[in-house]
Amino acid sequence: MSDFYFSNIVLIQSTFTVLLLALSIQIQFRMGVFSFAGAAFYGMGSYGVAILVLHYDFGAFSALATIVVICAMVGYLLSLVVQRLNGLYLAMATVAFVMIVTVVAHNGGTLTGGSVGLFGVLTPVEISVPHLLAVCAVVVAAMIVSERGAMGRRIEAVREDPELASAMGINVARYRKMSFVLSGVLGALGGGLNILMMTAIAPENIGFPLIVLALTIIIVGGSRSWIGVLIGALIFTWLPVVLEQVGTYQSIVYGVIVAIAAIFMPGGITGIVTDLYRRRSARSNADAFESEQRLEARAAEEDAAEAAELQAELASSTTPSGGSR
Amino acid sequence: MTTELVRPQPDHSGPDAGDVLTLDDLAVHFGGIKAVDGITLGLARGRISGILGPNGSGKSTLLGAITRLTPLTRGTLRFEGRDYSRVRPEAVARLGIGRTFQTVRLLEDLTVRENVQLGHDLIAGARPWWRRPGKADRETADAAVATALERTGLAGKEALRPGQLSYGLQRRVEIARAIVMSPKLLLLDEPTAGMNRFEREEIGELMADLRAEGLTQLIVEHDVQMMVDVCDHLFAMNSGRLIASGTPSDVVRDPAVREAYLGRQDNDDRDS
Repeated sequence: MSDFYFSNIVLIQSTFTVLLLALSIQIQFRMGVFSFAGAAFYGMGSYGVAILVLHYDFGAFSALATIVVICAMVGYLLSLVVQRLNGLYLAMATVAFVMIVTVVAHNGGTLTGGSVGLFGVLTPVEISVPHLLAVCAVVVAAMIVSERGAMGRRIEAVREDPELASAMGINVARYRKMSFVLSGVLGALGGGLNILMMTAIAPENIGFPLIVLALTIIIVGGSRSWIGVLIGALIFTWLPVVLEQVGTYQSIVYGVIVAIAAIFMPGGITGIVTDLYRRRSARSNADAFESEQRLEARAAEEDAAEAAELQAELASSTTPSGGSR
Repeated sequence: MTTELVRPQPDHSGPDAGDVLTLDDLAVHFGGIKAVDGITLGLARGRISGILGPNGSGKSTLLGAITRLTPLTRGTLRFEGRDYSRVRPEAVARLGIGRTFQTVRLLEDLTVRENVQLGHDLIAGARPWWRRPGKADRETADAAVATALERTGLAGKEALRPGQLSYGLQRRVEIARAIVMSPKLLLLDEPTAGMNRFEREEIGELMADLRAEGLTQLIVEHDVQMMVDVCDHLFAMNSGRLIASGTPSDVVRDPAVREAYLGRQDNDDRDS
């Protein structure tokens, strides 16, 4: 076990930082907000922590906390700027935001390290996998709470039918704003933890490729639940390692797997499992109904027979008087 | 042709001081189309009022305007004396106005029970955010949802999803979701569409029960007989304007209403 851990530590770290990245985009999709801002927050988190540690001598935790707060605030401000946009227009606006972050990283001079990026981000407290797992556990717990009970129902209503949600007293605009703030928090956590463990960042590590990676994870794993995102993160972090055996055809096989998943699993892997479960429970509900209806019909038949018997008895007892009339 | 059908606003349609809801010169225009054009009326407390009118007469737009989901062009909305013409749609639900929709709007991924619980969440949402629902809160919520399901004839169907229900049953889920909100005013947009005669009668009985409990209701419905049977007061609309108001028997006998529904009498005579 420990051999496996130490020989694959980078992949294990990547799995969970990529999980945070994908959740930063999925949380917005869950609230019906078609935004890729999470990829920008991931980049801001990486560069922000690197800048605070290298240029301002911040510690690991203070740098991470600072950048999380900054990204949450930027998320809120971004939500105000794009509050009137929806669908593809909103997606394009947030892609532009991701591009702006990349351009700033490229042209930030000594602050961002330009095209070379920043490296040697070392802090007295070494951030490692247990820290990452602790953060992911808290995030997943929050996700579980948000998917259940009243909060889960409200989010479902906001995504599926905003007008209905309003009629139910739900402030849809507030949920949209909240999705940007949460995306900022999750993206910054993912990016910040990534730089603290990898110690180096360059412009090619952020930007549009992160959108493609997160979208692939969400589509294949399933967009409705954190479990789908975790499954997607596991698959797409470890798949390239498995595909090393096919050598130069790696990209083609990767692409085919993604295409097949998108075509034949519109709800992702979790969507298939959910569908199967629902079909099964629907069948058992239908069976329960049928047997209940059969019982009711039998009871009605018995009642009718009893009534007919009673009527016949009454008729026979009243015949003499009827006959005398 | 249509302008000939529009008559001046009847004097007796005006609101009274004790009305739960009052509309004053309410108008909703979509560009050049006057979907609602200068409606003034009041809904008496604890009564069932109905709005009759042919397709496209502006009935559902009026409900949209009352719930603020449709922006007003002009006019004033008052609920229990308070002007709410400028509040956001979600605040209208919190005032105590519940509604159903013309086309069924249920969340397909939620069960019947969860769809109804969504209505009760409004009441639960009034709790401060730091106070998690306790056992007593959950029991109260469960009891309220169970009662709403029982009253709408949905007991036993809690675990099903809307896609597994007939259209009539889906309508009942909408009604259950609206009444579980404990509204002070219930707006029902074609509540019996897709239901058979017996089901319509059941819904009519439910409305009568709710009236007996003091709930004010406003119904938009095509079924004239049901409106006559259930409503205490009827309003008739055509081309976005109010063309009649009064007791159900008076309104259905009103020549302007008959004309709006059946066309001009002289045309009918010629045809026959």
